[in-house]
Amino acid sequence: MICQNCNKNEANMHMKRIINGRAAEVHLCSDCARSLGYGEAFSGFGLGLGELFGELLGKSDDVVSGAYCPACGKYFDEIVSDGKMGCAECYGVFYDKLLPSLRRIHGKATYMGTKPSSQGGASLEDRVEDLKNRLSDAIAEQNFELAAQLRDEIIAITATGGED
Amino acid sequence: MCAKWYLGTGAQNDVVINTSIHLARNIRSFPFPGRLSLPDKLKVNGVIKNATDFIDGYNFNYFEMKTLSQSEVVSLAERHLVSPEFASSRDGRALLLTEDEAVSIMLNEEDHIRLQVMYAGFALDDAYRTASQIERELSGKLDFAFDDKLGYLTQDPTALGTGMKASVVLHLPGLVSTSQIAKLITTVSKLGLSLRGSYGEGAAAKGDMFRLSNTITLGISEKAAIENLKSIALQIAAQERAAREELFKAPVTEDRIYRAYGVLKYARLIDTNEFMELISLVRLGAVKGVINMDCAQIEALMIHMQPATISLSVDRPLDRIERDKLRAAMVRKALS
Repeated sequence: MICQNCNKNEANMHMKRIINGRAAEVHLCSDCARSLGYGEAFSGFGLGLGELFGELLGKSDDVVSGAYCPACGKYFDEIVSDGKMGCAECYGVFYDKLLPSLRRIHGKATYMGTKPSSQGGASLEDRVEDLKNRLSDAIAEQNFELAAQLRDEIIAITATGGED
Repeated sequence: MCAKWYLGTGAQNDVVINTSIHLARNIRSFPFPGRLSLPDKLKVNGVIKNATDFIDGYNFNYFEMKTLSQSEVVSLAERHLVSPEFASSRDGRALLLTEDEAVSIMLNEEDHIRLQVMYAGFALDDAYRTASQIERELSGKLDFAFDDKLGYLTQDPTALGTGMKASVVLHLPGLVSTSQIAKLITTVSKLGLSLRGSYGEGAAAKGDMFRLSNTITLGISEKAAIENLKSIALQIAAQERAAREELFKAPVTEDRIYRAYGVLKYARLIDTNEFMELISLVRLGAVKGVINMDCAQIEALMIHMQPATISLSVDRPLDRIERDKLRAAMVRKALS
């Protein structure tokens, strides 16, 4: 199995964490495990999350000093020290640097909740549930063409949901 | 004056005091509060206030925090309507509050919008329904900072995603007396939840009041997070009831309850800590039917007896002795 973080080395650390009753598996190579703070196995999860976040970010190797958000002018170094983002754009600018820490804090970095009303509103979970209901209706009505289509849609949604 | 939310009694109220849902939202076109100038903060307040003007069924009163007195602000925090952090620095901040105090919106706290819905008893589904209804209305008028992969964007990256914090306040004298609380705090933290003192921190929680909340906001839907919280809260409530059964097997428990009631009924001076300790025992007795007192009345008393809220009731600042004297007098009156 390949490391989930660098996608290069063989993963030799395999961890399972239960978050909100769901098992989240993490497979990492030893280098990435160390840089993501997994070396000190599972310490820190109960700490104040804000401070922890700054600490986690500081541990990543690719922090280029001097990087800043063009929209609000906040430096990445400042985010590391106070654990606060400057504006919505900061997330886009520093996305790659934030992702490993977000994964570590929340177990998964895929959004599953509701959306603003301008974008449909329903959560990923609700959409999948809706599709599943329509799928069983289609099967009951022996409309297999529609069923196959719905099945593919469910697979597509859950696949994209499962990665990032 | 309209009846406040805490004057009602809700489901599971032998253990569950109240339920709250918090939603964090930011307006895309403004930087987060930490990087907003004072004029821009006032502009953000105005934009949000206008958006709340026409929400069906909800009338919000608008307060600029700077115009309120120190006691008024601290009292808002004691009533859990604003965070202590929000009360500590008032410039550029504002509060929208319904008459029954069930819905409050902090403007320019950690995020532009911190919406809170609070109901008595165990009412996660109802509180979420109200919160999301108001959020929908606002999202129709304001362009929220949102990302397909990360969800709602917040100033604190650990809150992003749903931006939702759901909490229940639990009265756990049984689990505290039987020394099970420390273990419980560790256990729930492994389940993506946190358990903390509602008045005062950690295992030294005043009045045995604890707040159970979700900590994970990404990779889980609002509904799933609420279902999780619900199931853990009900398990804790069941453990608490079992611990109370054990406690009442020893005659000393009933004795302690009556002694607490006696002190509250006759004391001439009482400080917050002693009051909270004794009222917790009285509440335990009231639930069990040992003491004839209504739980809603006890909850209201707990809120009204906090230091700033007491000072506010006489409309002038009080020193400690004056406050403890007034508290004792008010408690005696409530118990007579």
